[in-house]
Amino acid sequence: MADEKPLSGVRICDFSWAMAAPMATRMLADFGAAVVRIEPHNRYDAARTQPPFLNNQPGVENSAMWSNCDAGKLSIVLDLARPAARRVALDLVRWAGVVMESFSPGTMRKWGLDYEALREVSPGLIMLSSSLMGQDGPMADYAGWGYMGAAMAGFHQVTGWPDRDPSGPFHSYTDYVVPRMTALALLAALDHRRLTGEGQYIDFSQVEAATHFLAPAYLDYSANGRAARAMGNRDFNFAPHGVYPCAGEDRWIAIVCENGAQWRALCAVMQRPELQQDPRFGSITGRLEHAADLDEIVSRWTAMQDQYQAETMLQAAGVPASAVQNCSELTADPQLAHRGHFVKVKHPLHGAIHVESNAIKLSQTPGSIETAAPTLGGDAHHILADILGYSEDQITELAEEGALG
Amino acid sequence: MAVSPASSTPPLERYRVLDFSDERGLLCGQLLADLGTDVVVVEPPGGSRVRRFAPFYQDLPDPNGSLYWWAYNRNKRAITLNLGAAAGKALAHQLIAGADFLIESASPGRMEELGLGYDEAARINPRLIYVSITPFGQAGPKANWASSDLVVLAAGGPLALTGDDDRPPLRVAVPQAYLHAAADGALGAMLAHFHRVRSGRGQHVDVSAQQSVAIATQSGALATLFNAAPFRRHRGGLRLGILENQIIWPARDGHVTMAVAFGANAGPFMVKIRQFLYEQSRLPEADPELKALSPQLEDGRWPEEARDAIIAAIRRFTQRHTKAQLMEIAQRHGLLIGSLETLPDVFASPQLSARGYWRMVEHPELTRAFAYPGPFARFGTTPIQYRRRPPTVGEHNNEVYAGELGLGAARIRELEEAGVI
Repeated sequence: MADEKPLSGVRICDFSWAMAAPMATRMLADFGAAVVRIEPHNRYDAARTQPPFLNNQPGVENSAMWSNCDAGKLSIVLDLARPAARRVALDLVRWAGVVMESFSPGTMRKWGLDYEALREVSPGLIMLSSSLMGQDGPMADYAGWGYMGAAMAGFHQVTGWPDRDPSGPFHSYTDYVVPRMTALALLAALDHRRLTGEGQYIDFSQVEAATHFLAPAYLDYSANGRAARAMGNRDFNFAPHGVYPCAGEDRWIAIVCENGAQWRALCAVMQRPELQQDPRFGSITGRLEHAADLDEIVSRWTAMQDQYQAETMLQAAGVPASAVQNCSELTADPQLAHRGHFVKVKHPLHGAIHVESNAIKLSQTPGSIETAAPTLGGDAHHILADILGYSEDQITELAEEGALG
Repeated sequence: MAVSPASSTPPLERYRVLDFSDERGLLCGQLLADLGTDVVVVEPPGGSRVRRFAPFYQDLPDPNGSLYWWAYNRNKRAITLNLGAAAGKALAHQLIAGADFLIESASPGRMEELGLGYDEAARINPRLIYVSITPFGQAGPKANWASSDLVVLAAGGPLALTGDDDRPPLRVAVPQAYLHAAADGALGAMLAHFHRVRSGRGQHVDVSAQQSVAIATQSGALATLFNAAPFRRHRGGLRLGILENQIIWPARDGHVTMAVAFGANAGPFMVKIRQFLYEQSRLPEADPELKALSPQLEDGRWPEEARDAIIAAIRRFTQRHTKAQLMEIAQRHGLLIGSLETLPDVFASPQLSARGYWRMVEHPELTRAFAYPGPFARFGTTPIQYRRRPPTVGEHNNEVYAGELGLGAARIRELEEAGVI
């Protein structure tokens, strides 16, 4: 079955950590790539330290984030400061021919594991370095989390309420924007190598890639000199366009009318047919101009409604609407269930653990999650003995030298 | 028209992509176009609905001046074609026969109605990779829902977690949901390509935007299944179940981000920040409230009952400094502080300038060049090039219909008069 996957035969030696880059190799693992994660001996992967934790118990084997970012991979711990560990790393690079890493720029060079050195042992090597700001430039050394990437790319300026401090997108947003672009870059380089034999180095800046998600706003600035600002949930093109309160505590519904027909349908559902005739709302220009009035009218209706009943009525009438769903509602969402979004896999410590699937369904060669994210260094023996073909004596020696952390 | 010089050509130059998508899928084609594929956008006569999206160049509602269109159609060519007309469908079939990839983002079933669904396309061209980008995927109870950016974000999870706890859940003002899905579509296209390389067969790639955005809950979507406390939105901070922190702080000239964690799971990243604040509280020039807090800050204990006072003290501290000063302090003390950059800040960023990030793209008919966001990745030997500005309506009709499909001038005129192209 694994042979059927599109990337079977692709191998990745993965030095990356935290979220953005590991999520990229996770997607490739779903589709058949063999991925070996090298975990440092002196620092837990940040994804292992992030909630949600199984049963609210923090622990390096308990994180849902780790489960999501690293399912389907193998793990070995190496102390890369030791020459013996670096020899193992070089053997893994030779085996893989593809390297992913996301250390602060310069770290791999310090260990003699930079692209120039690695291509000596692996001709045709493809190596991708993922960092917040890129490998060169005055801020190359600027380490940080995805929420800082979001801040540095300008997302906070367009996410908030006009009368308040910026809210910003949720948490480490750029970590969730860039993984498919990282994986795409790697596959493009693989296709080039397939046809030419030529490998290459890819310098991937998370901020530079994520900026494409704000491209219309940047063009508005470069072409018109206008810097977009926070505007709550308003939209340039559609009104009503908002998130409205429903009956109950912290219950909300998102409603959008993209055209006149949807607006008239909304009026009918709200049992306010007279609004269909209201000259203020007769055109999209008018609706945009009176967006505040519309928000008030719609809120007054939604406040009396159950969020899911309102959703059903509006969808039946062809009005774009959805209850705002949080964790437990996502778990129960029939559409996510239909897509097989939540997958349960065996886990050596917990019996079973959940992983989120990805959004890409291939009709002939679907992805699948074969194994849970690995325990810390849990595959060391398998990697050394079966993948690299080391003898038991060699493995014992490595352990005794402290190479395995 | 084209732009910056490069030593070599981009990696995917040998492939042809047909792009039937709208705002739900245009980034997919653009990522593939940036990587070198020849992407032809197929628009209805008069142009895509996206060409009517604001903002516009100089605020003039011209179908060739939509900045939303510009943002996601660079490096593509454009033709017009009425897919509802029999002659239009026949031309589409001819184009499909010569394509490696097809991208569409119509509501499920719509392409089938037009005779351009996956099965039909695969009959014409079994090698074709057919990418469908929709709000909820091709099938399932919500597949035919009326949708929009905000609706996908609500259904997929991130909306509930974004914004202030005393206001409605909030989105990013630049629509995001379909960009996540479109980028997944580009990855899906290449995944299917690797299967085609071995098997010679194409397949259908079905992307659900709802799933694409679920990833942006930072794994909060798994909280219930992990029997963990749910994530919630919080003003200026994060409520990640057992981990609570403030991350937005005012500066003299804007805002910065710095994670200051509270609660039992504050973690090792907080040691430096706690030590720093304690040291500040001991300085002679420290403000009186901070000085008064000093005993509670000692040893990094930060008792829960002092949380509000500590937050207020940090706010007063950050407010007295500029963003640049705070970044400098961060460097000196090993703290993690990021500036909340305004769009003009990002545009003028010395880092992005030093890397030559922004690319000037000429629009000859406007006798101007405009700065576009630069390559999404830097390839050592197959660099991304910005070869074409976004196309005007029907700009490549002649090139494609006459030059590539071999239609004569008379036939093209006929099709134009019949409203097919």
